[in-house]
Amino acid sequence: MKTLSIFFLLQAWFSFMNPSFIVDNKYAEAMAKNIQTVYSSQSISELQSAVNSFERIGATEKIKWEPYYYAGFGYIMLANVEQSASKKDLYLDQALKAIEAAKKIKAKDVEITALEGFVHMIRLSVDPASRGQQYSSLAMQNFSQALSIDSENPRALALMAQMEYGTAQFFGSSTKEACATNESALQKFTTFKSDNPFAPQWGKAMAEKMKLQCKD
Amino acid sequence: MKASLFVFVLLCVQAYGQVKLTGVILNADREALPGVNVFLVDTYDGTSTDDQGRFEFLTTEKGVRTLHATFVGFKPYRQNVTIADQDFQLEIILEEEINELQAVTITAGGFTASDESRRTIFRALDIATTAGATADIAGALNTLPGTQKVGESGRLFVRGGDGNETRTFIDGLVVLDAYGPAAPNTPSRGRFLPFMFKGMSFSTGGYSSEYGQALSSALVLDSKDKSERTRTDFGILSVGGDVGHTQSWDRGSLAGKIQYTNLRPYVGMIRQEIDWKNAPVSLEGSSAFRHTVGKSGVLKFYGNFNHSNFSLYNHDIDDNAEKELFDLTNNYRYLNGFYKNALNTAWSVRGGFSYTYLQNKRQTETETFDEVEKGLHLKTVLEGSLSDHVELKTGAEIIARSFNQSVDPKTPQAIVAGFEEYITSIFAEADVFASNRFVVRTGARMEHNNLLQKLSVDPRLSMAYKIVSGGQISIAYGKFRQSPRNEHLMQDHTLNPERATHYILNYQHIKNNKTFRIETYYKKYTQLIKFLDGDPTNLSNLGGGDAKGIELFWRDNGSVNNLDYWITYSYLDTKRYYLDFPSRATPGFASKHNASIVAKYFVQKIKSQLGFTYSFTSGRPYNDPNVSGFNSLRTPNYADLSFNWSYLPFPTVIVYFSCTNVLGRDNIFGYEYSTVPSEDGHFNGRAIRQPAPRFLFLGIFITLSKDKSVNQLPEL
Repeated sequence: MKTLSIFFLLQAWFSFMNPSFIVDNKYAEAMAKNIQTVYSSQSISELQSAVNSFERIGATEKIKWEPYYYAGFGYIMLANVEQSASKKDLYLDQALKAIEAAKKIKAKDVEITALEGFVHMIRLSVDPASRGQQYSSLAMQNFSQALSIDSENPRALALMAQMEYGTAQFFGSSTKEACATNESALQKFTTFKSDNPFAPQWGKAMAEKMKLQCKD
Repeated sequence: MKASLFVFVLLCVQAYGQVKLTGVILNADREALPGVNVFLVDTYDGTSTDDQGRFEFLTTEKGVRTLHATFVGFKPYRQNVTIADQDFQLEIILEEEINELQAVTITAGGFTASDESRRTIFRALDIATTAGATADIAGALNTLPGTQKVGESGRLFVRGGDGNETRTFIDGLVVLDAYGPAAPNTPSRGRFLPFMFKGMSFSTGGYSSEYGQALSSALVLDSKDKSERTRTDFGILSVGGDVGHTQSWDRGSLAGKIQYTNLRPYVGMIRQEIDWKNAPVSLEGSSAFRHTVGKSGVLKFYGNFNHSNFSLYNHDIDDNAEKELFDLTNNYRYLNGFYKNALNTAWSVRGGFSYTYLQNKRQTETETFDEVEKGLHLKTVLEGSLSDHVELKTGAEIIARSFNQSVDPKTPQAIVAGFEEYITSIFAEADVFASNRFVVRTGARMEHNNLLQKLSVDPRLSMAYKIVSGGQISIAYGKFRQSPRNEHLMQDHTLNPERATHYILNYQHIKNNKTFRIETYYKKYTQLIKFLDGDPTNLSNLGGGDAKGIELFWRDNGSVNNLDYWITYSYLDTKRYYLDFPSRATPGFASKHNASIVAKYFVQKIKSQLGFTYSFTSGRPYNDPNVSGFNSLRTPNYADLSFNWSYLPFPTVIVYFSCTNVLGRDNIFGYEYSTVPSEDGHFNGRAIRQPAPRFLFLGIFITLSKDKSVNQLPEL
């Protein structure tokens, strides 16, 4: 089960957000700069520093969920870059902590719930043979829950598609369903709009990469 | 503990009202910590330390502010600083956090298996996939060091201890007779399947003062929490079938399963050493209810009933044609209730009850034995942290048991005997962490026994020291006691508990998915039950004995892709003077050398996991009345190569095939002799063999649920 290669495709899938909004205050400036870093950096020290910034912002702002969301996302990226399994786990533990903090501010949010599932998915990829059963179940649960909050969310759909694809590939069964989920994710990426300037923007590249695999 | 802070040099005044804060952050060994988050609370002013642990940032804040430094694996650091017009330079030492991943743990005597904790060397799932065990907990644990394979029993024999010296607990609550009934000289299986547990800790000595009434070993099983999905499971087995359903809702779940096992068709097909009249048939039902209480509390109920029956003919040793019927009916019920909740961030309380009912009805052509054991266990435990460095666990419990045996109650000469025992205990245990490297656990257990009207105190002590990253040494010491076996206590209520003292020294090294463990021990037995003048109705506590040995364990699941294997070796030197032994001798269940090799290989191409287990046990003592010297002879060596194959054709289906003793070796467990010599003065004897060379098992498990994710393992 160790070759669920699908999980390693996740490395080159960040899509840049467009900071077209007007940077009119310290919060927005700090957020924009660090969001850029967690979307694009492959360096442990850069990522750690961005995550630290998000934690500082989160602790100061107190009522905004976004800093914690991106701190969580940053920790997932750190886990992806890190090679040692036990350190990966340590980062993922931190990611969950940040996600918990975000959930306290905004309960039942589609993006936060999907991100939580993402943590389980990466956790699974560390040791699929022994973690498959437990963490695939946890990840699926989060993705289903996210989609029940908003069935149109492109990231929840794209992550769900990844899980379905990995499962289908492992069992040698048809990837048709996974590819269909991915198609609808891609469609939602093009139409996704949010009033929130700091709404998550990532995931499109991951879905596009999967589309190529679906063609094969 | 307060970390130390040194405020050093005050530099020159800055322009623009901005003050520069600079400094360095180090660990206790004065090594630089990069990536530390350092900032003024409630401001945006802050930064992360660089590769040399240095930081530098500007602030326009003035007055008393709180400086905060946080980093993964270290305690958050807080310090009030007064910001005037001068720059600051600080040196901050962060103190390591005592946490699960970094801290030393006591490993002497203990094997922990958990799906939750990621640092364990043995996982709950390992139990289910160990070849030769056929998903039996004791079967899989028998491949770990400290156990002696006793093929005709199936129970856990630990370090020269008898099978009944291992006690099983579910969620901390005792299980009386954790094994299903088995015909004489056939291995029994545990009553609980590994799938219902999320973790287990198997201790071969020196265990926590929380566990009493076990001389050699404690097997502590933690049941799973709430099921996350509604599902229905079917199992089609070569020896029966089962059906189960799990209903899951937001805050709870309810699961039920019913299983029917019938070995009759199987023994009809495969020739058996045993002359069955009716091979074992059993009907079993189990149910589990889980509910979340409040924020973090959990309430669990688990119940199990089992009815089984078999009958066979025992053949006379002297005249094989002469046979006697033996019929056993067993009724078993177990109910367990468990509650756990946090009182505050530092303290939590857990507790519950367990109730066991066990009836064995043994019938021969001339007699009927009927024995009933009932047990109720009530327990509550308070645990938490006194400080960052001291964890305390304390609790109280009552184990009330009654045992009654009647022989042929229909006739006026019925012999009825029994006892009622109440053991009341309190226990306390403190873990004192001197650092992440060194921990000392001291505990004691006080017991009051109603039959003896005596109060006793048993001390326990263990400690562990981390020598290098991944390598640690631990020692453990403890005194343990256990009431005599039911059939002895029934005859004489004034018998003292049997006692054991353990001394254990252990070294363990874990690195890159490789584990090496070496452990040596000495165990002293006192107050063992001894028959006076060889008369089994005249009992005393005059027995004793000891056991010593050395054990090795090596596990590697990192070197070869998809391959996981472990190798164990146990050396045991034990002698005891107990029961009918005329002199100190090695008991028949104890073997000097025990070794196992367990390998699991995952083959992605055929979606299968293949497992092999090779076990070796050197000859066991047996007593031949025709030769002088008690227990002076040894059986041939025992060896077994088992195979299993788990195949996952679809996410919802698992096919499981297993075969024990693939090579068909004729293993001999011992010899039994006629009680009376034949005319020429010779005692006739015969070998105790495996009921059949191999045991084959095939099962197909199907899960139906709304979503089709990978989740085929049963819940119960």
